[in-house]
Amino acid sequence: MGISRFVLLVFTISMLASPALSDLVLSKVDRRIYLTSHIVRISSTLEVENAGPETVSKVLLAFPDLQAQNLAYLMASPHEAKAKVKVSVVSFPIDVVKPEDMPPGVTFYSVSLPQGLTVGASFTFDVLAVFTQALRPMPEQIGQADIQLVLYQDSAYYLSPYVVKVQSLSLKVPDSRIESYTTLQSTKVQGSEIKYGPYENLPAFSSSPITVHFENNLPFAIAQELVREIEISHWGNVLVTEHYKLIHGGAQSKGEFSRLEPQARENVQGPSAVRYLVAHLPPRAHSVYYRDAIGNISTSHLRGDSKKTELLIEPRYPMFGGWRTAFTIGYGLPLQDCLYESEGRRFLNITFSSPMIELVIDTLIVKVVLPEGSSDISVAAPFFMKQWQETKISHLDIVGRAVVVLEKTNLVPEHNQYFQVYYKFNRLSMLREPLMLISGIFFFFVACIVYMHADTSISKFSASYLAKQQWEEVRVAIQQVHNIICRCLATHDKLEASLRDLSRTGEVQACKAARKSTDGLLKELSKELKPLMTFLQSSPSAVQVLSKVEELVAKEKELLEKLMAKHSTAVEAYEKKSGARDIENRIALQQQKITALRQEVDDLLEFIDEI
Amino acid sequence: MAPPAKAITSPVPDAWYPTLAVFMLAIGLVLTASFFIYEATSSKRNRSLAKELTTGGGFGSLFLLLSAGVYV
Repeated sequence: MGISRFVLLVFTISMLASPALSDLVLSKVDRRIYLTSHIVRISSTLEVENAGPETVSKVLLAFPDLQAQNLAYLMASPHEAKAKVKVSVVSFPIDVVKPEDMPPGVTFYSVSLPQGLTVGASFTFDVLAVFTQALRPMPEQIGQADIQLVLYQDSAYYLSPYVVKVQSLSLKVPDSRIESYTTLQSTKVQGSEIKYGPYENLPAFSSSPITVHFENNLPFAIAQELVREIEISHWGNVLVTEHYKLIHGGAQSKGEFSRLEPQARENVQGPSAVRYLVAHLPPRAHSVYYRDAIGNISTSHLRGDSKKTELLIEPRYPMFGGWRTAFTIGYGLPLQDCLYESEGRRFLNITFSSPMIELVIDTLIVKVVLPEGSSDISVAAPFFMKQWQETKISHLDIVGRAVVVLEKTNLVPEHNQYFQVYYKFNRLSMLREPLMLISGIFFFFVACIVYMHADTSISKFSASYLAKQQWEEVRVAIQQVHNIICRCLATHDKLEASLRDLSRTGEVQACKAARKSTDGLLKELSKELKPLMTFLQSSPSAVQVLSKVEELVAKEKELLEKLMAKHSTAVEAYEKKSGARDIENRIALQQQKITALRQEVDDLLEFIDEI
Repeated sequence: MAPPAKAITSPVPDAWYPTLAVFMLAIGLVLTASFFIYEATSSKRNRSLAKELTTGGGFGSLFLLLSAGVYV
């Protein structure tokens, strides 16, 4: 049914064809149709000659409507004589036009030549047209072990609004069997290529339908929906997350499915199943993960070199015709590979479409998440796509991050070109993140302080509450006593130090001065101690500790007296200028007592500290 | 395109993230511990210490998150 419709359309076109468009003549057309994958690529080399009266700058390309519906990508570029050298391609702008006086059922595209074609001159350029869903599986349902046969329809004559002088066509099919093909005059088959032509001097809009029925077992993977999220973090990473929903778009699978057979004889059983997919990630991609709703999928291989990182993933089951699967791939890229700065604005330079090779995408949604604090956002893209903005709340965000959403339908791998997103960002906004963490911890500590301050007792006059209050006051007093005693001991140490100085240098005056100052200090300290002692003696709850505290104070006094005595004897001895041995003997006894007392005082201090 | 584009990198070199995380977290945790000890033992409260140790702990936790791969 489809075939007859196509034939009818083509005949209608050729019947209703009006005289050719003036001016231009196609002197040579070479068409190569690549049917080696489920994406059909037609590469035509056109040599245009201007036979008309004036300079022409637009060339029309024609496609039948049925074919134009499946057209995903169209590009015209100047012809490269040496096909091996890949130079960066400069493409000509192409627009859809609807000229008058043209037969119906044909879609026209106009290629603008940068320098117009002057009268008598000729120009050669290449046209690449990529079609999706142009191969029809025939039979439409196959069993698990059958091979997949597909049908392709086209015209042997190049459909054009101009007269074509010489043209030829060659179809390349995969290296398998060709079931059938239309035979016209001058048709030959060479290996896996079918050649039609050359045909000479055909009028405009001439066509002759041909059909090729052949075996194509290459994976028919189609992504029905692909959501690609690109998150930029100025701390050094661009995180790309891709959510795929795949379907096998070839011949539907019918009959029973057996798990054993594909595993037992892989190459024979289920040859058209999608067993693996290959993705070319940018070089230096790291932290690559592959998972789905169940969890991590471990059947994958990653291999990196300086030009690309190759990821080979196998779905959880081989996909037969009509089967679906869904998974997520994620990877990180270093920031300096993608983010650049020029003229005060930063921009992200990254590929648009999926990194998988030979994947057709029905709907692609790309979300670029810019860091918080970005402003003045704009997108520069090599082709048209729908755009809008959203907000996303992510780690450590207050108001949310700006998200630029781009949507496009019917994509092929040729659409995987670089695009740029421009935005302005203030460097100081980066400090916002550590400041949020710091303020979080700060509030936690303040909360702790408030909690400790809070008084949650129900009754303020109960006996236990009052007892606790008094105990707190006693504790405070004891701590202060402790402080004072420590200061006393410090002054004792000063005295001892002055004695040592005396034994070293023999200066008596310095020693006496030190003695005087320590006397003064000690007097002050005892003054401070008095009110505390009275308070402790009067408070009822301090009874247990009171004895220890009084003992401590008494011992400290004793220590002080002994120390003073020792100091005086030492000074006298020096004044009398007696020998060193003599002095030592005199103070030896006192020294022993002093050390013993000091030890006891230290023990008591420790005990009081622990209360 | 007017001036050539200059690549942007993070202000702190990537390779330092784990080292910085360890050092700053150590400082932050030590200060946190001393803060809690002081609070629990004394009957007079303090406030100034809180500010000091939030900076140590805050930057330490930021670098910990970054070195773990959560690029915030």
